[in-house]
Parts: sequence; C-alpha cells; structure tokens
Amino acid sequence: MSALTSSDVLRPGPTGFKALIQRLVMALMPSFFTFLRRWKPVMKLGNNYLTSRYDDVREVFATDPAFGVIYKPHLDVIMGGQPFFLGMADTDQYRHDTDAMRKVVRPEDLPVLAVRTEALGEAIVAGAGGRIDVVDTLVRRVTFTMLGDYLGVPDPPGGDLRVWGTRLFEFQFVDQGNDPALRKEVDEIAPALRLHIQNEIARRRIEPGKDDILSRCLALQAQGDAAYTDDFIRTSLMGFIVGGPPQPPMVVPQAMEQLLRRPEALAEARAAARADDDERLRRYVLEAMRFDPLAPGLPRVALTDWTLGTGTSHAATIPAGAQVLAAFASAMMDPRRVANPRVFDPNRPASDYMHFGFGLHECFGRHINAATLHLMLKPLLKQPNLRRAAGKAGRLSKNGPFAERLVVTYG
Amino acid sequence: MRQTTLSVALEVKPESYDHLSSLLDKLREKRSADPSGGTGPFADFLTRVPAVHFMSLSVYPGFDYDPLFVIEANFDGAPGPFWGQLESAIGPELRSMLRCCKRPLDNDGPLFDSIAAPDARAPIAPYLERRSLTPTVFHHGNRGMTRDRILAEHKLFEATRVELRCANHEGPNPYRVLTPRQIHAKLRAAVHPDFAWLDQPPPTRIPLAENIGDWVRLISFIVAAVFVLSIPGLFLSLAMPWERYLILLVVVFIGIAMLLKRIGVALPGTEIATKFSFLKFFFSQLVPLLLFVAGYLVVAVAIGTPLSMLATARNFDAAWHGMVTWLLWGLAGAPVVIAGIVLWLRVIERRDASQDAPPVDPVMLREMARREDWIPQNHMGSLVLIKPGILRMILIRAGHRLLGLVLRIQARSGYLGSMRTIHFAHWAMVNNKSRLMFFSNFDQTWESYLDDFIEKAHAGLTLAWCCGVGFPPTRFLVKDGASHGRQFKEWARHSMTVSRFWYSAYKDLTAEQIERNFRIAIGLRKRTLSDKDAALWINDL
Repeated sequence: MSALTSSDVLRPGPTGFKALIQRLVMALMPSFFTFLRRWKPVMKLGNNYLTSRYDDVREVFATDPAFGVIYKPHLDVIMGGQPFFLGMADTDQYRHDTDAMRKVVRPEDLPVLAVRTEALGEAIVAGAGGRIDVVDTLVRRVTFTMLGDYLGVPDPPGGDLRVWGTRLFEFQFVDQGNDPALRKEVDEIAPALRLHIQNEIARRRIEPGKDDILSRCLALQAQGDAAYTDDFIRTSLMGFIVGGPPQPPMVVPQAMEQLLRRPEALAEARAAARADDDERLRRYVLEAMRFDPLAPGLPRVALTDWTLGTGTSHAATIPAGAQVLAAFASAMMDPRRVANPRVFDPNRPASDYMHFGFGLHECFGRHINAATLHLMLKPLLKQPNLRRAAGKAGRLSKNGPFAERLVVTYG
Repeated sequence: MRQTTLSVALEVKPESYDHLSSLLDKLREKRSADPSGGTGPFADFLTRVPAVHFMSLSVYPGFDYDPLFVIEANFDGAPGPFWGQLESAIGPELRSMLRCCKRPLDNDGPLFDSIAAPDARAPIAPYLERRSLTPTVFHHGNRGMTRDRILAEHKLFEATRVELRCANHEGPNPYRVLTPRQIHAKLRAAVHPDFAWLDQPPPTRIPLAENIGDWVRLISFIVAAVFVLSIPGLFLSLAMPWERYLILLVVVFIGIAMLLKRIGVALPGTEIATKFSFLKFFFSQLVPLLLFVAGYLVVAVAIGTPLSMLATARNFDAAWHGMVTWLLWGLAGAPVVIAGIVLWLRVIERRDASQDAPPVDPVMLREMARREDWIPQNHMGSLVLIKPGILRMILIRAGHRLLGLVLRIQARSGYLGSMRTIHFAHWAMVNNKSRLMFFSNFDQTWESYLDDFIEKAHAGLTLAWCCGVGFPPTRFLVKDGASHGRQFKEWARHSMTVSRFWYSAYKDLTAEQIERNFRIAIGLRKRTLSDKDAALWINDL
C-alpha cells in the first residue's frame, strides 16, 4: 500500500525482545536521570553529551549561538529545500519569518480555539458510547481537526492528514538512524503534502472562504506584503502541520495516564472540569505532563567549544560538532531548582516546566498548547464513573515515543 | 514547611552605583502586564515566585568600602527552587544588576564571568546560590506559615467577615442570639462550601524533626560552650595540687569581682535605668543551667571515659571516676574564666567610641521617608562596621549564635518580649565579617517599631547590635546601649539605606492578623468546639 493512502497513523512498532527492552529503558529512565543529576550531570558518550540538571539544560537552550538546532537536513527533505525557521539560527531571516507568522497567528484566536477544542471533544465523547481510545479517537481527532481547520489545511484528497503529519513528524524529530523504510514513505508524502498545500493556496486565492491562517496570509500577500510568498506560506503551513498536531496525541494521553495513576489528583482534575475551572484544569494537565513529558530531551549541536556550568564543580567542555541532548524531562525533576519534584503539585510556578523548550526555539505553538491541551481531556473528565478499560487496553501503550492506545470507559 | 531567610551581598563597581540605583528604581516601577498575575505593583510575583514572602533589593553607598548590592529574601522551602523562580520572574533585570557588580577575586570569578559577560546567557541562579549568606541571627514572626496558607486563611477570614456582616440584611443579625458553639457551627456551615480545605487536617507549623533539631542545636551549643569555658581549669587542675588550684580560683575570682565592681558602673552620663539584673537573670535561669551542666557532664564522661581507658590503660571504674573528678575541676574554673572574659570586655567597652550625632544624608532620608508608611508594613535595611578586636569577634559570633538558637526555641509564637510586629528579620555579616547587616520586615512605622524594641527588648537588641561602630555606650553586652533611645535611633537611621525595591506578598496583613486568621481557621477546621473552646475562639471574630 502506498504511504499516501495508508490509514495507519503509526508504523508497526517493535515486538518481542526489542519491545521489552524499549519498555524497560523507558521505565528506568527517571532513575537513570536521578543518578546522572547526582553523579554525572554532563555525561559523554562518544561525541554525544547528555545534560540532566535544570541549570545546564536551560543554559543549552538559552545559548543558541553555541548550541544550534539539528533539524535542517530533514527539514530540507520535507520542505523541498525551502527554509523553515525551525532549522534556522538567530538570523535576520529567522526573525523576519517568525514575525511574519506572528502577524497571522494571533493571541485573540486562543479563546476561539479553546471553544472549538472543547466542542469537538464533547461531540466525540458523546458519540463514543461510554468507551473511548484517548489517543486516537479523542486527542488525535480533536487536534488534527481543530488545527487543520485553524491553519486552513484540510485532509488531502485520498489521504489522511493525521497519517501524513505524523509520519513526517517521525522523520523530522524521531528518526535519528535514517530508517530507509521511513525515508521511502517521506519521499512520497512530503511532495504530496507540499502539492496539496500549494493547491489549497491556489484555490483559496480564488475563493478566500473562511478566516484562517491561510486566508490571512493570502490577504497580506494581496496587499503587497513581500514576506508572504507562496513558498513561504506553503513552507510555514507545512512546518506547522508537521511540528504541531502530531504532538498532543503523544503528550495528552500520557497526562491522562498519569492522572489515572493518581486517584486523588484525578478526582480534583475532574472536579475542576465539572466546575468549568479551566485554569485549574490546565494546571493539573500541565503537572501530569511533567511526569511523562513529550520526550526525554531535545537535541542540539555544539557550534563552538563551550563549557557548560562554568565555575561549578561539574563544569564540562563540549567540543564543537558534538551533539547534546538537553534532557528537559530530567530538568523538570531536578530538586535543585524544582521544589519537591516527585510530588504532584498543580500549583507550581511556570519556571518548573520546560515542556515546550526554552529560548530561541521555544515551541511556536506554546500559547495554543496552553489554551487547548487541557480542554481535549475536559469533556472526558466530566463524565461520570470514568475509569480505565479492563485489561491491557486500559493501560497506556506506546510505540516508540508515540502514545498508541489508552482506552477508558465512563457512564 | 520550613521558611528560609538569606541575603546575597555583592560589591558594586563604584562607577556603577548610580546606574544600579536606577535599575532598582525601574524594577520598582514595573507593573504587571500579565492578567493572570492580578493587578498592582509586582503582582506577577504572586504567580511566578510563589515561594516568596518578603524580598528587598538595596544598594548601600560606599564610604569605607565600595558600594554594596544586597538581595534580601524570605521564602518558603529550600533556596534552590526559590532562585530558579526568581530568575524566571526577573532574570534579565537581575543580570543587568549583577553586571554592575565587581568580579569576585576568589574561586567564584569564572562563575561570575559566565553570567555577567556582555552576551552571557548562563543561568544566574547558581551564582546567587553560591554567594548567599547565612544569617547569624534570624527571626520569623509567623513561623511555619507558608505564604499560600497565609493568603488562604486571610481569604477565609474575609469570608467570615462578610458572613457575619451580611447574614441578615433586613433584620437583626442572627449571630447575636447564638451561643459561641452555635456561632461556630453556623459560621462553619456558611463558609465551608467555598473552603473545602477546612476538612483537611492543618499542616504542622513546626514539625517534630525541626523541633528536635532546634533543641539539639541549642543543647550542643551550650555543652560546647561549657566545655570551652572549662578548658583552662582542666589544664590547670592537671598541673597543680587541688588545694592550690582551689585557692588560685578563689583569689583570682575575688580579684576580678573587685575590679568589676569598680569599673562595672556606667561611665558618667551613659547609664540608663533598667530593671534588668544579671543576678536575677542568673537565678531565673539556674535550673536550666544546672540541667545543661549535668547534660555536659554526661556527654563529656561518655566520650572521655573510653578515651581515658585507651590512653591510660586504666579499668572502667578508675577511668570513669577520674574523668568525673577532672571534669568537675574544669567546671570549677569556668566561673573564673567567665569573670575574666567579662572583665576584659568591660575594659574594652569603656574605651569604645560612640557616635553622638551620626550624619544622615538629607536626600537619602527624604527618599527613605517617601517610601515608608504606605501600607501597614515597612522595611528597613542597615549596614554597620563591626568593632575590632579578637574578644569582640568571638563574643559577637557566639552571642549571635546563642541568640539565634534561643529565638528558635523561645519566639515560636512570634513574640519578641511582648511584641509581635516582625514578619522576618535577620542579621548577617559581610565583607569578610567586618560589617553587619540587619534587615527587618515589620508592622507599624519605623519610629514605633524601634520605640517598641527600645522599651521592651532593648537587651536583645543591644546584644545583637552593640558590636557596631558608633553604637551607643553599652555595658556587659546587654545594658544601656539601645536604651539610649534618641541616640540609638539616629545611629540606626544613619546606617540605613533606601529600600529601593521591596516586595511583600501580603501587604495588608500584620503579623498579629496572620495569627488571628490562623486561630480562626484552626477553629473552623474543627467540626465542633466545646463550650469553653468556642467561647475563647469567638474572641478572634
């Protein structure tokens, strides 16, 4: 079957011993990070370095002139060589491109997105008949529907945006080993998605239709704003599709799993949902995510020789060219900066969280995340008698870094 | 949860003094633009630095030293998370301020470079953590009360006021005809829906481990002090026949006592009548003192006997008996050593210079006055030079240590003497322990705050501050001193600087009101009260 018409959002995961090892590694990771923070805060593995303390992770993210992003090679494949700001250093073009997109992705959209997210979730939960897979049926559908609509990128003819977006996300952010099978699929999907968006640009130029990011870009293009070329619009929308909607189906079900493991916190989160106290609910989901964030860390490459933690007892010089994994999952559990990190505390200050990175490449959609992630779970949390489904289905299963299935029942 | 009080004192480049002052003023003028942070000055501190109770940033002008930038912080929990939160809230501003400071010449130089270089982005929290000073003495007025608890209990208090005031708009107030128990029950029922936490047991203000730790530290200090004071006697008793040793002690003690009687009186014009008497104090503390001495004997014998057996190959009975005898001879010498120290101190005190008219910069005084008395709380920060001399240095450190330990035991209800006006206060030494800083976050005006201290706690105040150069004439560390009210206040004002940035997390609450809210909340946490308890409890409503 062609990757373009596939309905499998995730590729088949490892099985047998490999799967067991993968689960074991994931389970042992928090303890491993605890060990590293105490004994080897900057660990060297060949030409790779792993930083685990809050201060060091923050320094890596903040010092973008010394630690650059490594996304450009894969982005070039996805974007057909067109530059996207995720792969750039702090250049004039980076500022120009991000400023241009901030003109069309506006703060006043957030309440509207919040309402749409909650309404979509309510409809899905109401129609699920008391049993739902949080990963695919709820969060993935809500995310891709809401964000696809907001961006102005519908499902491609004969294809599924969830599959295309997730596959390209896997290639961009997960595939460090350059898997040829994945590359083959990407070589099909990426040009097709570029063509699909380009066709939408052409169509909407004739029929502007509803207000969304694409229509706003085209309106500015029509007004003569030179920033909004077709290439720029297409690349930006594609970047948002690849970097945005695949993430909530990973992290939000993980947060749900963490809540299910903590009956008291779950009860309080449900009370907040029932009381429509969205700010309180947001804090519960954000805190739950801290116990199982999107990824262990984010990669960077040293652009120059740089000493991390200068003047401290664990100072370590990282040579130019080395790859650094800034383990933000570990940073959020570092008792040196995060008070009682093992305690579930929804009243934490913002500084305790690094879910969306930090510094130059802090997630562009962080405000959208803050406005919507918790609302994806809200309709579910409102349901009476919410509980795990019986058997394995009721426990969150993962396929590599992706959440795969978590079934709950209610009513 | 434990509260932490600390300060960071950093030397400022002289040419950057004005720039640093303007940066502090700018920060003060900053207003919250974040709607989730509430309204008003520094409102976003509430959400971004949830640990902080009180915080100040000041810069002291340089006369004898270069200017000094001081961050004073009082917060819940451990310092690490607090510094992280603070950096998140005002990191860029703090970094600009740190760039006005001198590079430390010690091992912290490279760390300073990493945060203060022109394009530096390394976290500043490790540097602030490294340069933190531990207070020599500190006092917490509402010990064990976290900031969130203080705010939550005040919200509860306000809800009770509303309920009591508005229970029946159109007729007589129903609460007037109820018994105290009924008032409690009705009020609890009225406020309970909005305060679900009333069903939870109250967090312990001073956990058992902390309580034990306070006592262990105090006892250890006194045992160590008794041992140190008995060292001369321990050696002399080994070198002399006991009869001659005894005669020597008596003769020396009488000699010192006679000298003290002669020079112990106040110098002309410096005596302030006081009810404080060393003899009365000694007898009032005799029982605990004897208990401490007994404790010392037990500890010293337990440690010394095996060592003696090892060194002399004596059997247990002989070693034990010999050790007790030796320690008692050492203890016999302790009063003479104390008398000698007091004599030495008094000789020094008589030669001390006190400043009768300390100069106060009128511009700075105006700036201080402009910032005072806007809310029920005020803030003061003071910096003084420490008088020189080895005895004084030993006594300051030992005196501060003892005062700090005693406060942890005695001032748990927030009362210092009969006052409860301090939220957080501390002393700390800076510039290689050549200067003494004092910071206080207190209720009422500066004048009435110091008046209260002068009248009701002058001995403690004098003990803590008499080491300052220019302090009013003092006798025996605790007498006179701060009792010279006008002179002391002028001296204190002279040592102060403008509190350019000062933050209080609960600016409308006095220390007394926080305790009142606490008592009301404790009552309302209980489903029912006895008649007796209810009658007491309603006094706070």
